Amino acid sequence: MKDYTMIKVSVNGELKELNEDLNIKEMIVELGYKKEGFAVAVNTTFIAIKTYEDTIIKEGDTIDILAPVQGG
Amino acid sequence: MKMNEELGMRNEEWKIGGKTLSSRLLIGSALYPSPANMEDAIKTSGSQIVTVALRRQAAGEGGGNQFWDIIKSMGIEVLPNTAGSHSAKEAITTAQMAREVFGTNWVKLEVIGDQYNLQPDPFETVKAAEILIKEGFEVFPYTTDDLVVAKRLADVGCKILMPWGSPIGSGRGLMNPSNLTAIRKQFPDLQLIVDAGIGKPSDATQAMELGYDGVLLNSAIALAQDPVKMANAFRYAIDAGRLGYESGTMQEREFASPSTPTVGTPFWHQFA
Repeated sequence: MKDYTMIKVSVNGELKELNEDLNIKEMIVELGYKKEGFAVAVNTTFIAIKTYEDTIIKEGDTIDILAPVQGG
Repeated sequence: MKMNEELGMRNEEWKIGGKTLSSRLLIGSALYPSPANMEDAIKTSGSQIVTVALRRQAAGEGGGNQFWDIIKSMGIEVLPNTAGSHSAKEAITTAQMAREVFGTNWVKLEVIGDQYNLQPDPFETVKAAEILIKEGFEVFPYTTDDLVVAKRLADVGCKILMPWGSPIGSGRGLMNPSNLTAIRKQFPDLQLIVDAGIGKPSDATQAMELGYDGVLLNSAIALAQDPVKMANAFRYAIDAGRLGYESGTMQEREFASPSTPTVGTPFWHQFA
């Protein structure tokens, strides 16, 4: 049985604890986001939807999840 | 020229960013009293391009995204901005995220260099523009009215330039019309939009009279006492300015010149 280790990351500026070795797709589910309507950046680098499963979240990562808002 | 029969407005087509449009007003979606008021104002303005943005979203937000649902239902072009970016890197990442979320390669490139007057950072803007164009974006760069910066943006491949009228949200109108005119003269083939600082409909008219292809504004409509009525005012103002430009304004003169014929003037002081 795998011994789960927690990692600390920043999600939209808030400190969160996540299971290690999660990819972006799994992280989105774990954080309670819906399936679409937002885009993700890790450490200020854009992560395209098609690469979610290939991108593993690591300790100390800074994650931004952005959605449409009003703008000028 | 075709006329919009319902409103009696011009409906002449023009092209920007690969799209054919009739309205020359680009409108922002922020600061309205309510989402319904925003929708009414945008519709009344006749604008076919609306600016939008991306911001952090909390998890599990129920009820969906009302704002985005309204914009999508309007069937107009969206122009995502990179507002809040302070470096080329931030702007590029925001643009890439926007392309995925909004499904457009258009981006209003905005890299702020000074927090006090929200003046764009020309160095980072040019750097970001060059990279984004290589990545296939149609870049609408928000810039100052500096001719050399405009030149650098054109050099890296920008087909559209958006010099400011005055600082964002200031409502001060066109601070430096002669600089805007210089950019127009230097770049007759680029699409030029005055972006930011418009306060009154006459400011938009003035921009159009200078030969600009369009005007982008937000606060002037959204912060009016009656945004929907003001949206209508801007619609007329932009058409008036464009018609004025196309008509060719008269030459200014140093001295007065009577418009009523002098021949046959009664009571003429013929013996004076």
